[in-house]
Amino acid sequence: MIKILQHIALFVFTLGILALALRGLPGTVTHENMNDHYWTENGPFELSPERGRFALVYSVLEDKSYTFALPIARFAAPDVGYYDGEYVSLFAPGVSFLALPGYVIGKMFGSAQVGSFAVISLFALLNLFLVRGIALKLGASKTASTIGGLLFLFASPAFAYGVTLYQHHISTALLLTGFYALVASKKSLLALIPVWFVCALSIPVDYPNAFFLAPIGIAALGRILWKEETVQKVSLHVKPQAILTFAGAIIPIVFFMWFNHQAYGNALQLAGTVQQVKQIDENGDPVQNFTAERSETSQNATTVTFFDPRSLVHGLFTLTISADRGIVTFAPVLLIGLFALPHIYKKHPETTALMLAIIGINLLLYGMWGDPYGGWAFGSRYLLPTYAMLSIMLAVLLTGNRNKIIHGLLLILAVYSLSINTLGAVTSSQNPPKTEAIPLGDITGRIEKYSYDRNWQFLTNQGSKSFIFNTVGKQYVTPVQYYYLVVGMVLVGFLSQYGSLVAQNFSLFDSQQARLSKSQVSKSITRFKNRTKVKLQQKITKAGKKS
Amino acid sequence: MIQVDKKNQSLRVDFSKRSLQKLGRKISKVLPYLLVLGLIAISIWNFIYYANNGLGLAYNDARSHLDIGRRVVEGLKPGLAQLGSVWLPLPHVLMIPTIWNDFMWHSGLSGALPSMISFVVTAMVIYKLLGHFGVGLFGRIFGVVVFITNLNILYLQSTAMTELLLLATMTLGVYELIIWHKNDQLVHLVRSSFWIMLSTLVRYDGWFLFFWAAMLVFFKGFKGGKFKMGEGLFIFFCTLGGLGIILWLLWNAVIFGDPLYFAFGPFSAHAQQTQLDDAGVLQTKYNLPLSMLMYWYAMAYNSVLFTVVLGILGAIALFYDKTIKTPVKIAATALLAPFVFNIIALYLGHSVLFIQGISGNTWFNVRYGVMMMPSFAVFAGYLVHKFKPLRFVFVGLFVFVTIFHLGNKDAVTIDDGRVGSSQKNVDEVSTWLRENAGDEEGFVLISAASHDAIIFSSRLPMKKYIHEGTGEYWESATIAPDRWAKWIVMRTNDTNDLTFREVSKTDALWKYNLVQSFPFADIYELKEEFKPDAETKATIIQR
Repeated sequence: MIKILQHIALFVFTLGILALALRGLPGTVTHENMNDHYWTENGPFELSPERGRFALVYSVLEDKSYTFALPIARFAAPDVGYYDGEYVSLFAPGVSFLALPGYVIGKMFGSAQVGSFAVISLFALLNLFLVRGIALKLGASKTASTIGGLLFLFASPAFAYGVTLYQHHISTALLLTGFYALVASKKSLLALIPVWFVCALSIPVDYPNAFFLAPIGIAALGRILWKEETVQKVSLHVKPQAILTFAGAIIPIVFFMWFNHQAYGNALQLAGTVQQVKQIDENGDPVQNFTAERSETSQNATTVTFFDPRSLVHGLFTLTISADRGIVTFAPVLLIGLFALPHIYKKHPETTALMLAIIGINLLLYGMWGDPYGGWAFGSRYLLPTYAMLSIMLAVLLTGNRNKIIHGLLLILAVYSLSINTLGAVTSSQNPPKTEAIPLGDITGRIEKYSYDRNWQFLTNQGSKSFIFNTVGKQYVTPVQYYYLVVGMVLVGFLSQYGSLVAQNFSLFDSQQARLSKSQVSKSITRFKNRTKVKLQQKITKAGKKS
Repeated sequence: MIQVDKKNQSLRVDFSKRSLQKLGRKISKVLPYLLVLGLIAISIWNFIYYANNGLGLAYNDARSHLDIGRRVVEGLKPGLAQLGSVWLPLPHVLMIPTIWNDFMWHSGLSGALPSMISFVVTAMVIYKLLGHFGVGLFGRIFGVVVFITNLNILYLQSTAMTELLLLATMTLGVYELIIWHKNDQLVHLVRSSFWIMLSTLVRYDGWFLFFWAAMLVFFKGFKGGKFKMGEGLFIFFCTLGGLGIILWLLWNAVIFGDPLYFAFGPFSAHAQQTQLDDAGVLQTKYNLPLSMLMYWYAMAYNSVLFTVVLGILGAIALFYDKTIKTPVKIAATALLAPFVFNIIALYLGHSVLFIQGISGNTWFNVRYGVMMMPSFAVFAGYLVHKFKPLRFVFVGLFVFVTIFHLGNKDAVTIDDGRVGSSQKNVDEVSTWLRENAGDEEGFVLISAASHDAIIFSSRLPMKKYIHEGTGEYWESATIAPDRWAKWIVMRTNDTNDLTFREVSKTDALWKYNLVQSFPFADIYELKEEFKPDAETKATIIQR
């Protein structure tokens, strides 16, 4: 019963915080007003990733069409495609389709936009529980696992991308679901069905997921084909019946091909491969100068040059230690999790391999990408899978850990990380990378900030993009007070769990700890005896020599 | 035989360990031969690839190396003295048997051949060295793959540059040194000193390795307070290991009258660096953090950052491994010598390195970063051996990055040669010379120190050119140019150009027409009325 209550409390708390930060504005998005600044620059659709995905949601439900009417095309530009005389989506369709129920429910309450965005918050919530669940499976305590989940969601840029319409939380949820299925069931073939399902579904959500879920897929294949070694022989095993588990992939594949056929007339045509329109003229025609026909050669050039290992030098710097996107700047607390690696490696070498593979692919792929910044963004939005893995490690590290330095460091960095990521969540993701901010400053004539200090500037000058603040909150509090309120709640939630963890780890009344203390005392006594013996012997020897 | 495994609900194929071990032994015996064949094929394929796309001779230095080799066997004053003092002599000496052939000279194959052989040798040394660290077949092969899939290595092995020869001699030297530390057999110390001696005749990086190795030899002997033993081994090692350095000092003393001519002469790296220093672009001098940063970038660009990470992790694993004896670990520090040398050289201002983005928008000498590549390959091979459960993660991520690395055909050394300070587009000058001076008798006065790339690209015989290495021809032609040179190629008003410096002292330039002016050189042609008096035959009998 207590267990269920604890889960409910965590669920309600997380949902509450996400709701407080969820971005949105009162009112209804229509063909007529969707291109107003109210909804775009000043509103929840501040950047093209949100607009492009919402455009498809809106078009499917309001226009009953997979192609875009002109106002929607203008809304989605510059990330809009042009196919067979019609404007189409350039994004993979998964996020938009998953947001459909949210739109419908939101519309019933008078805010379809908030409903759509709330779907992502639900995935963010799911991710917290998945991080917690995986940490538990790896031997972390319940409190440490909860802390891991909380830090993943609120002490990293995952928070900012859990309150707006981006693909990252859905991708991470699919990855963590596959991961959880593998660690939860070590032998059962049935566990492979959800693995193949999430692997297949991840591609229509975001194409790079094909790389990110590859380690999960390869680990799952290891359940079908594996090597066993005994003293006398080496055996190769294969489970032919496992082929049936691939049925899990059928539904997502069929959905993906069906959508491609509906939108582009070809089941194998991917959204990103159609002609891109960056600008639409007054007559509603694509501006030819801005229309990049992706010929076979240019496509090849894009595929090859888009991921360039030479970019790793700058890309990895950007993702890890830069002030505009680096994990050291935005989520340093999670890096403490790396200290758990030797411990996890000893206990779960295969799981460690899987975690390192996920982190490795995540960092390397976006490190090689020409735009490691993710355009204008808050922190690194690409690294959600890495944040999740580090949070799991952190939970394992904190379990039973009595190292005061680690605890001190964790407390300081957690408060810092929670504070700045809450700031990002309640304000805006429109942070330019440093390389753009500096020339932008030359144009605007003021210092353009590019790290989380820009969000503070936004908070004090423009306010908050939170739906609750914009509908109710602003009548009672200032944006800064609202931020303090949200961050205060986040800190209280974290500290209550952390206090409980500290009580567990350092408790003198705990029977196990007491036993440990006893054994430590006996060890100390033995050491003291031995040292005294040696010293006595040395004295005797010296005295003997003198005499 | 396929069996049904009821316990695991699977189909199973069993292999007895004894038969697998037998098979493993057989493979181990055959594999080195197969590897050599594969490496040769890769080497040849890459040479052809870069020769066909015109990048094989992108570096001006590659053309200069070929010209130096050619001048030993052909020209107005052929002979060993043509080896000069600008560069250490071994790469050019190795060209002598083939450079006489015009195809071998102009295709660059004469200079690339030692690089190609070095490529194969270095890869095999990595394989063997990993074996001595107790690394299994998988790790050994991975180490080799790390080395041979590096595009910068593949490019440099296809050119007449000296990097691969240096890598081969240094890696062989370190390999033998490690074996000696392992088994104390003196023959390995002799071999080590031999290879290190050769490396001292390729580049000055070898000199640093020689001093490092000599210290290691001394300390191994000295261990336990045996000073005499240390001293004896040190002298023993230095006798052969230092021979190349002694010979080079002697060579400079005999040919140029100063044993340190190579270091402080007018064409030395020191002279070049002094000019850069005066121009304020030798940023790394006396700036240790910048020197380290610059070399770090050079390494990361050359070796690919992920390989550097694998290498660092592998090095940590190796040096912390308790199963490897301490003397072997100490000897393995020699694998780090290129890293230390390059930073010291940058710090002292003896070397220059431009990295795009740090030193403006250009590259220069960025290829120096490739020197750690064999070491990274060894460490990476060791890493995948040591952490077996993580082996497929390391290998998988390496493959992931390498697919893009090879797919991009993106080698920083090619940029270094093509768009950086290492190249000059001399095609216009050399084409003019070929078309206008090729069929007409007479000599071209030119400074090889400034314009070797033009000499090479013109495809004219070396004996057509009067340059600073032609002794009395040069002396005569710079006193009375119109008597000897129908054409003069020089950078007008640039006193760094020896031809201009000498010719401007005479009043003969009015006898020439400035026929072409190009970004890198101007061409003067003797006026028609003076042409009949100009010598067209090599009539001077050289002393």
